[in-house]
Amino acid sequence: MKRSMGRKEAGRSDFTGRRAFMRVTDHPILGPMPQRREITIYVDGKPIRAYEGEPIAAALVASGIRVMRKTPKLGQPRGVFCAIGRCTDCVMTVDGVPNVRTCVTPVREGMKVETQIGLGRWSEEAVSRWLEETGMGR
Amino acid sequence: MASSKESVIICRCREVTEQEVLDAIEDGATTITGVKRRTHAGMGLCQGKGCSRLVARLISQKTGKPLKDVLPATVRPPVRPVKLSALAEGDD
Amino acid sequence: MSFKESVDIAVIGAGPAGLAAAIEAAKAKARVVVFDENLSPGGQLFKQIHKFFGSREHLAGTRGYRIGEMLLKEASEAGVEIRLGTVVYGVFEPLTLGLVNGDKSWACSARAIVVATGAMENTMAFPGWTLPGVMGAGAAQTMVNIHRVLPGRKVLMVGSGNVGLIVTYQLLQAGAEVAAIVEAADKIGGYGVHASKVRRAGVPILLSHTVKEAYGNGQVEGATVVKLDRQWHPIPGTERSFDVDTICVAVGLSPLAELLWMMGVEFTWDGRLGGHVPLHDEDMRTTMEGVYVAGDVTGIEEASSAMEEGRLAGIAAAEHLGYLDPAEALRRKEAVRARLDALRSGPFGQARKEAKLRLVEEFRRKYAGAGEKATVSAAGGAGGATGAAPEASNAAPASKVASPQEPEARGVARTGYPSPEELSASPGVPSMERLKKGKVAVIECVQEIPCNPCEEACPHGAIKVGTPITNLPALDAEKCVGCGLCIPKCPGLAIFTVDLSLPGEEALVELPWEYLPLPEKGQLVQVLNREGIPVGRGRVTAVRKSPKFDKTVVLQVRVPKELAMEVRAISRDGQRPS
Repeated sequence: MKRSMGRKEAGRSDFTGRRAFMRVTDHPILGPMPQRREITIYVDGKPIRAYEGEPIAAALVASGIRVMRKTPKLGQPRGVFCAIGRCTDCVMTVDGVPNVRTCVTPVREGMKVETQIGLGRWSEEAVSRWLEETGMGR
Repeated sequence: MASSKESVIICRCREVTEQEVLDAIEDGATTITGVKRRTHAGMGLCQGKGCSRLVARLISQKTGKPLKDVLPATVRPPVRPVKLSALAEGDD
Repeated sequence: MSFKESVDIAVIGAGPAGLAAAIEAAKAKARVVVFDENLSPGGQLFKQIHKFFGSREHLAGTRGYRIGEMLLKEASEAGVEIRLGTVVYGVFEPLTLGLVNGDKSWACSARAIVVATGAMENTMAFPGWTLPGVMGAGAAQTMVNIHRVLPGRKVLMVGSGNVGLIVTYQLLQAGAEVAAIVEAADKIGGYGVHASKVRRAGVPILLSHTVKEAYGNGQVEGATVVKLDRQWHPIPGTERSFDVDTICVAVGLSPLAELLWMMGVEFTWDGRLGGHVPLHDEDMRTTMEGVYVAGDVTGIEEASSAMEEGRLAGIAAAEHLGYLDPAEALRRKEAVRARLDALRSGPFGQARKEAKLRLVEEFRRKYAGAGEKATVSAAGGAGGATGAAPEASNAAPASKVASPQEPEARGVARTGYPSPEELSASPGVPSMERLKKGKVAVIECVQEIPCNPCEEACPHGAIKVGTPITNLPALDAEKCVGCGLCIPKCPGLAIFTVDLSLPGEEALVELPWEYLPLPEKGQLVQVLNREGIPVGRGRVTAVRKSPKFDKTVVLQVRVPKELAMEVRAISRDGQRPS
C-alpha cells in the first residue's frame, strides 16, 4: 500500500535531532507555509534562521529558544506570555536597545538579539543611533 | 522549598510575591492602590494588567470586601509606555 | 503636541467591534478614523480559524479570519481610515485623543468616540507560573495560527470554557499534543460540540482538577495537577504529574478599560461579564456625552456579538451627530438588536443576556429619568450591582435530556461527548430502523446553542431548526438520503452519516476531518470512539474534498457493523494499526 511521507506528514512540527524545529510547515486549515524570504538574525551571537516580517519571538521559539530574559530582582527566566505585546515578559535587548517586545517587533536581516539581564542597558552605539535618528543630539 | 506564598509571584513585572501582597493587606491596605503603594505591584511596564485581578482577589479573601468594591488603581495618562521623545514639543 | 486633526468619530480599537462601528458610521457619511496600537487590524479575529456559530445573518459557518477579511473590505469600501501602530495614550477634554506613533505625537479632536479596546486574558498564579512555557491560551493561539510556530510540543490546558476547548483543538491541528484539559468546576464550561472534537481526538478532560505547580529547569518541563473538593480545596494525595513543556491558561478575560476609567465614565460590576464594565444604555452610550463603547470592553462575549454591538455604537454615534435621522437610526438599530438577541439566546447566552439587561436597566434607572418601565425580569434589586454573581460566565447548561440545574453524570457537560440517552433523545439522531434502511445523517447535537447552518446545508430539506435558532436540529429521516453535504457545514463538526445497509458484516461511517496527515483512499486506519479510544480497524473508502467544504474534509470509513454507532474519528498520527 502506497503511503507518502514528507509533506503529508507535516501539519505537525518537524523535529530534527536535538535542535527543536517548531514551525508548522503545513496546516489543515491554513495550508502550506507561505513563501517568505529567509534571513539571518543573531541571538546571543548565534545565527538563527528567521522569516522576513515575523516577530522576533516567533523566530526564537521556532528554533527552540524560549527563555528571553532574566528578571532584575530575582533573576528568573521569562519568555512569551501573552504574545500580543501587552505583558512585556518577552522583552530582549535588540540592536543594543533594551526592553524591546519581541512578540510584536518584526525581525530584520542581521538583527542582533540578546537575552536581557534585568533592566538591560543601552549600548553606546544604540544611543548614538537614537540621537542621530531623532535629531535630539543637535 | 519555601512556602508557596513566599515564592508565588503575583506581579510579574515588579516580581512581587503573594506573601508581600498579603503583608501589605495585613499592614492596612484595603485597595489595589494601597497594595501598589506598599509593594509596587502594578507599577511595572504592564501597569497592573496582569496582577490587578489577582491582588483584588487577595484583598477580597483577606478582608471580606466584595470583589465589586475593589476598584482598579487610579488611571492616569499615558495608559501605555510612551517615549518622551514622542511627547517633546516642536519635534515636527 | 504640535499637530491636531479633527474627525467626526474616533474609534479606538480595530477589532471586530471597532471595525463594525466605523463601518456603520462611515455608511452614514460621518468622517471616521480608527486607531489601533497593533501593526495589524482585526484584533483577535484573525487567529480564529474555526467556523463561527449563529445563523446566516451572523455569517455562521464562516471561519473567523474570513470574517475579518470581509470586515476589512467593508471598511475600506465605506471609506474608513485605519491608523495602525498608533497608541491612544489618553483622552482629554473635550473628547480629544492623545496619540503616539513611534516618535510622533499629535492630538485628534472628535465629536464622538467609540471605545472598542477589547479584553485581555486573565492570569492565574501558581508555583512556577512565571516559567517560560506558561502562557495564555490566546497566546498559544496567536503563535500557531498567526505566526505558525508551535509554542511547545506537549501542552496542559487549564480551563474548559470555549477558549480552552477551541485552542486545544487548534493546537492538535498544528501538530502539538495536549496531555489533558483540567477544569476546576465539576462540569465543562464550553459547548459540548467543542468538547466532543477534542475528546474523540483522545484528549482527557479532568473535572474538579486544577494545576498545582509548574516545574522545570529554566522552563516548563512538567506540571502537577490536583483534584479539588466541593469547596474548591485541593485534596492531598490526589496529585498527578504530566510530562508537558507548555501550560496554557484559559481562565477567562477581563476588559481593557483603562481609557474609560481615566475618562471618568461610570462603571458597574457584573461577574457574568468579567468584572467591572462601563455602564451603557441600549445604544451603547456611556454616562459621558459622546462616548460609546462596544465589544469585549463592555463585557466578555464573542466576536459575533462584538460586531453587532459595534454596529449599534456606530449607528448611535452617527445619529448623535445628526448623520442619521432618528427613524432611520431606529430601524437600523432594531435590526442589529434582533441579531444580537439571537446570539445571546439559549442556556449558554442566558447569563450574558440577563447581565446586559440588568446593566441597561441600571443605566436607565439612573440616567433616563423616572417613569421608565423596567423590562428586566430577573435580578437587579436596589443598588443594582450583582456582587454575588459567579465569575464564570460560561456555566454549562444541561443538555436537553438532563435537568437544567444538574447536568446528568454521563452527559456531554460532564464527559465531553453525548451519552446514549442524550443521543436517543435528540431529534437529529435517526432510529435504528431507519439506520438499517441505508445511508442517513446522524446529527449529534444535543445542546441548545444558537446555530443553524445545517438547516440550509441540506439540499433535500431534511434538516429543520426553525426559530429560535437554539432548537436542536431535527432530522426528517424519510427525506434524508445520506448525501453527507451537511457534514462539512456544521461548525461544531457534530454531523456524521452511517450506512448499515451494506451486505455482510461491515458498515460505512462518514465523519468530518480537519487534520494532517490526510489519509488516502484504501488506507487501513485505527478507528476511535467518542472518547478517542481505539475500538478497531477500518478502511478509508473515500476522502471527499471540495472548496465548498471550506477545508473540512469528509472521510468515509468502512468499519465492522457493530461499531457503526461508535466510530466517530480515526487515529490522528496516521500510523497503521499494529
